[in-house]
Amino acid sequence: MHIPDGFLDVKTAAAGFVLAGAALGLALRSARRALPPERVPLLGLAAAFLFAAQMLNFPVAGGTSGHLLGATLAAVLLGPGAAAVAMASVLTLQCLLFADGGLTALGANLLNMAVIAPAVGYAAYSLAFRAAGRTPRACLFAAAWGAWCSTVVAALCAAGQLSLSGLAPAGVVFPAMALVHMLIGLFEAAITALVLAAVMKARPDLLTGGEEAPPARAAGLVPIGLCVAAALALFVAPFACGWPDGLEHVAERLGFAMRAAEITALPAPLPDYAIPGLDPAVLSAALAGLAGTAAAFLASWLFARALAPRPRVEGSGRA
Amino acid sequence: MSGPPAIEVENLRYRYPDGLEALRGVSFSVAGGERVGLVGPNGAGKSTLLLHLNGLLPARLPGEAAVRVLGTPLTPATALAVRARVGLLFAEADDQLFCPTVGEDVSFGPAQLGLSRAEVAARVSRALAAVGLAGFDDRPPHRLSAGEKRRACLAGLLALDPAVLALDEPTQSLDPRGRRELATLLTGLPVALLIASHDLGFVLAVCRRVVVLDAGRIVADGPAADILADEPLMLAHGLESPPPWSVQGRKNYSE
Amino acid sequence: MTPAVVARAGPLHRLPAGLKLAAATAGVVGLAFAPRDAFAVFGGGAAVVVLLVLLSRVPPGRFLRRLLLVEPFAAGAALLALFPPGGLLWFLGLLARTTLCLALLILLTLTTRFTDLLGVLRRIRLPRLFVTTLALAHRYLFVLAEEAARLRRARKSRTFSRRRGAAWRGSAAVAAGLFIRSFDRAERVHRAMRARGLPE
Repeated sequence: MHIPDGFLDVKTAAAGFVLAGAALGLALRSARRALPPERVPLLGLAAAFLFAAQMLNFPVAGGTSGHLLGATLAAVLLGPGAAAVAMASVLTLQCLLFADGGLTALGANLLNMAVIAPAVGYAAYSLAFRAAGRTPRACLFAAAWGAWCSTVVAALCAAGQLSLSGLAPAGVVFPAMALVHMLIGLFEAAITALVLAAVMKARPDLLTGGEEAPPARAAGLVPIGLCVAAALALFVAPFACGWPDGLEHVAERLGFAMRAAEITALPAPLPDYAIPGLDPAVLSAALAGLAGTAAAFLASWLFARALAPRPRVEGSGRA
Repeated sequence: MSGPPAIEVENLRYRYPDGLEALRGVSFSVAGGERVGLVGPNGAGKSTLLLHLNGLLPARLPGEAAVRVLGTPLTPATALAVRARVGLLFAEADDQLFCPTVGEDVSFGPAQLGLSRAEVAARVSRALAAVGLAGFDDRPPHRLSAGEKRRACLAGLLALDPAVLALDEPTQSLDPRGRRELATLLTGLPVALLIASHDLGFVLAVCRRVVVLDAGRIVADGPAADILADEPLMLAHGLESPPPWSVQGRKNYSE
Repeated sequence: MTPAVVARAGPLHRLPAGLKLAAATAGVVGLAFAPRDAFAVFGGGAAVVVLLVLLSRVPPGRFLRRLLLVEPFAAGAALLALFPPGGLLWFLGLLARTTLCLALLILLTLTTRFTDLLGVLRRIRLPRLFVTTLALAHRYLFVLAEEAARLRRARKSRTFSRRRGAAWRGSAAVAAGLFIRSFDRAERVHRAMRARGLPE
């Protein structure tokens, strides 16, 4: 999901920097205030941990392998503010150390993966955790669910930025990114739950977030939430009514887009978008999205069921 | 030696939050410039004792200060000043070298003292030269060998101009040459030393006096040569007398 | 990684990090926002990049390997650009400007120590907590990578199954172990900071 240089236009890149800067500034402020002093080095070590954990391979099939993004894992283990700071460090390091993710796209990448991903992941996690009854199994389920949500929403936001930059029509970018990341999100959910279950087994004391969220962790969530909402309103909402009709519509628009070399800032919905109503394409896309979400929800529950620690006579199985 | 002892510990007790009683009334003192070995089995309380010399563990038992450094009682109010006088070398060098470069790391301590920039720079280059790492300022710590890391840690302490060095397992992961160089370096320093180590040959080479700690209590305190040669005492406390050839090292370093 | 290369310094290595970062940023901004059909600009950019690589005395093989490491991701994402009209030409233009930006960034990382870049970030007034976090993350990245390798070896030497599930559990256990170790290390690092005068 790292957007390289050259993919975003000036206004999108600038908007990314402004929103990411504001949200991370707030996250830093809340981290400085809410983190006990002995936890400050933990931010750096957590970033190093996320960087190293992203390099671990999880084989998928045919020699390919996936890896962890870690935003939700970090948010569950450290709280959302600290997770945002740690993720931002990881992305900045990846950009300046390995040219992974562009310099001009750094703002957008920070926004997607260091602001939106942990914030959405944590929000989904804490809602589900509360709803599912605050048990260890609920914690794993909620974390898996949060990981899936964070992956998909961050990808949608990236799709919005690419689309807004005129890289490809929204009707292509959104379905493609959504579909791919609904799958990737399942991996993220599984890995997050697996790692969390292993931490739970070895050092349950580190998972204080699993018992209760101290007020310190929630501090600063509201302004950051506002930044996230602004980002979604800017990058996703304008396309929300336009993107479901996918490839078909792209074909129709070929001639039009040829002349509209650069897509205007916020393309007003065309008349035929205005009343999506019962357009079968919209309906099918909505149904597909709903089905994917339900599947992810179910999968999260199954992961948690399989991984939750059962009371055992002997505590074994350390790494 | 004139003046107050470098370190005075009086009836020091400490219980960890999880209930483990690490120190059960430890009393001893180290004179200025004296070099003392602190030996004992794993879990004897050696590292806990060293952390107390810097006031790094919270919630001491109420009552009068159990640790005095150069006559100053160690309290939360005096902790910062005391830490500048007692350099603590941690068992794992990577924990102690937390800055991007060796130079920045060595300057971390002096920079907190409110010294001028020139003075900090002077102290850094003096400390690096003292440990034989002159010109290592720009090196990132992860590029150093284990011996170089250990010496870089030591430079970070020396830059504070301490009167006492408290070292936790200083020879851990050093090769014999690094170990020998460290012994030479330490014996040349004009400071009091308290060395907690399982490396009894090293202790014997550097220290004249040894304190044996077991289960949070001091069980022996006396001349290094006598105590370390006391086979039954050593075996009773999970230790063993260093082999005779390593005793020869003593002649090389002690005088 | 970079420090080893920096040791064999060429003329670019010796320039101040701030200047190099500013120049690279200017170059990347100029190229990244150039129109996609500005092939003259891309040609000129490519010539400058080649010249800089030769001038820098960075081994060209190392430079190309680094470029090939990240290029597939950019090229893959660029495929999206085949959809709008004018597909192929736009795709090529996008690929050109992305590749040139990557080349500039890689050249920057190959000729500049990260510790020097950190100094620049501190000077341009990025929040201190963030720069400190970056510095610590960079410092312990290598320590953790070695720890990860050790954990994985230890796990492998006692794993006798080729099943995917075992591999997943193994990687997850390594990740969990890494987290626990970094958590504990953070406490020890803080202790070491306090021991050298960090105010409480």
